[in-house]
Amino acid sequence: MSTFIEAWQMVLAPDVLIAILLSAIYGLVVGSLPGLSATMATALLVPVTFYLSPIAAIATIITASAMAIFSGDIPGCLLRIPGTPASAAYTDEAYAMTRKGQPELALGICLWFSALGGVFGTLSLIIMAPLLAEFALSFSTFEYFWLAFLGLMCATVVARSSPVKAIAAMLLGLLIACVGIENPAGTPRFTFGSTDLLGGIEVIPALVGCFAVAEVMRAMSVPEPPQLERRKFGSILAGQWKLTKEYPKQQARGNIVGIIIGVLPGAGADMAAWVSYAMAKRFSKTPEKFGTGHPEGLIEAGASNNASLASGWVPSLLFGIPGDTITAIAIGVLYMKGLNPGPTLFTEKASSMYALYIIFMLGNIIMIPLGIIMIRLATFILRAKRYMIMPVIVLLCAVGSFATGNNLFLVITVAAFGVVGYLMEKNGFPVAALVLGIVMGSMVEQHFITSLIKSDGSLLPFFARPVSAVLAAITIGLMVWPLAVWLYKKRPQGRAAAI
Amino acid sequence: MQISNRLTGIGLAVLGAAAAYGGSLLPPVPGQQVGPNVFPMVIGIGLVLCGIAIAIGVGSSFEEPEQVVAAEDGSHVPAGQEAPVPHAALKTVVPPLLLLFYAFTVDHLGFIPTAAVMVAATCFALGGTWRSALILALCAPPAVHLVFAKLLRVPLPPGLLPMPW
Repeated sequence: MSTFIEAWQMVLAPDVLIAILLSAIYGLVVGSLPGLSATMATALLVPVTFYLSPIAAIATIITASAMAIFSGDIPGCLLRIPGTPASAAYTDEAYAMTRKGQPELALGICLWFSALGGVFGTLSLIIMAPLLAEFALSFSTFEYFWLAFLGLMCATVVARSSPVKAIAAMLLGLLIACVGIENPAGTPRFTFGSTDLLGGIEVIPALVGCFAVAEVMRAMSVPEPPQLERRKFGSILAGQWKLTKEYPKQQARGNIVGIIIGVLPGAGADMAAWVSYAMAKRFSKTPEKFGTGHPEGLIEAGASNNASLASGWVPSLLFGIPGDTITAIAIGVLYMKGLNPGPTLFTEKASSMYALYIIFMLGNIIMIPLGIIMIRLATFILRAKRYMIMPVIVLLCAVGSFATGNNLFLVITVAAFGVVGYLMEKNGFPVAALVLGIVMGSMVEQHFITSLIKSDGSLLPFFARPVSAVLAAITIGLMVWPLAVWLYKKRPQGRAAAI
Repeated sequence: MQISNRLTGIGLAVLGAAAAYGGSLLPPVPGQQVGPNVFPMVIGIGLVLCGIAIAIGVGSSFEEPEQVVAAEDGSHVPAGQEAPVPHAALKTVVPPLLLLFYAFTVDHLGFIPTAAVMVAATCFALGGTWRSALILALCAPPAVHLVFAKLLRVPLPPGLLPMPW
């Protein structure tokens, strides 16, 4: 009980409350602007977290990301342009409702069910994390190695592109993580004599480059989105309680699917929304209504993407394996603030963990009033021209990355990763897999090499323990799967079946 | 910029081979069988295999076609066929070039002038007018400087135009 009270004291500190409020506003505004994703909002926030207390730093990340995922729905509803990739799955549905003259209802569904989904996701985090932590205490380096590797493989399977390209992107990320002297022998590796590369490639500039600079580069080649006309909204929350009672099954399914996808490493809110929308349509009694402004899919997918956000923290907190790109950034902040992820976090820093749960809950509750204000102001904010916002983003990329290490080499890193991210996206390589490779590289290597040293160079002990054998089987299965599908389609009858 | 799968595959395979070779040259840890050379070699070999697989088309059946965007009137415009942006390819390289410009000149010119050039150039490249570029160049750098240099204490170089705070 005393730890719980201590946690409340931590959260109610003035600096934390101010951080929550400001990051909520920041998340709402950035998320609502088309092209600026929740990951980008979080990445640009990291330099600011350096100067905050640990709890305030984590609070900014949690609140900003949750708000950005919701507010990405606003331009989707009003302009048919998803503000974040997580809203893309049901943008057409929401826009169809707006065209039917029900923008309030569509926005209300997005807000209300996002908040509910977030609360359910947080509950899953509260229940699941300590249980899994107890289980994880018995893990050795072999299990950790397979778990991390499985996490990387999951990221390649859920990517909406060729799995081979996803594996290649992940390996590229691991190769990038090899640079520097942070390896088992402390030998400079792939540094090419540069002192700047001795410390390795920093994760945050790489993320900022891949997500923010690449996005500005993309914006350069596509026309400006259409302008939003001014409109007055009626009551946003009217009718939501009725919908909550009318569609309990859809809501529950959305929450559960979101939670499961969030826990899977590498699969985040966007994947949760796509899967949930497809499921809502598949199991609906009236699938023909989908796409015409029907609330069912909106409820399920809207709940799902916010639920996945909280559960994505489960593998991050327990194993240091990011659940999605947002938690990949959050892990960096956790390390920086001395809250090193691992099962012992729940015993040694219990009050911080409770504080984290409370912040999640608070974030999802304040989402409702702040969201309503944001929706009412949206017609003004969405009038902001892209050529007035993107230049500031480029400047923030430069200053923010410089601030992470007071080194101009980091700005060059951002530029390089901007080009890499842009080229990868254009050619069907998932950027999220690359990022996870970079984030998890040193961890995978450390567990791999330690295990190899323990086993005297033999690979057999990697499969000897029951848990590691199961994890290994799943991982290897995921690796061989694209090859098996390819070989099957190559067979004459397989090809005939495919046609 | 779209590059053919064959070319990206070969490129990745070459990169993987170079990584594996570079890794194999690393000195081992005395008295240990495994050292810093193992991981790059494993990744390198993996990249070579993936590169070959991409070049011969394994997994391409999983790739989804680009989203087709429906217009307001219900008609469908295939992605990439909207009204083209003039000099799109040239404009695409503007952000990374500006970041390089920042990295190499900020110590000499100072933060405010360098940042002003950056925001004005990006604004202009995105189709902004000279007036909006000028307004942004005058307002954004001092505001960012105030937040990062004054509040967050990031040592931004004063250069030619030091700020009063």
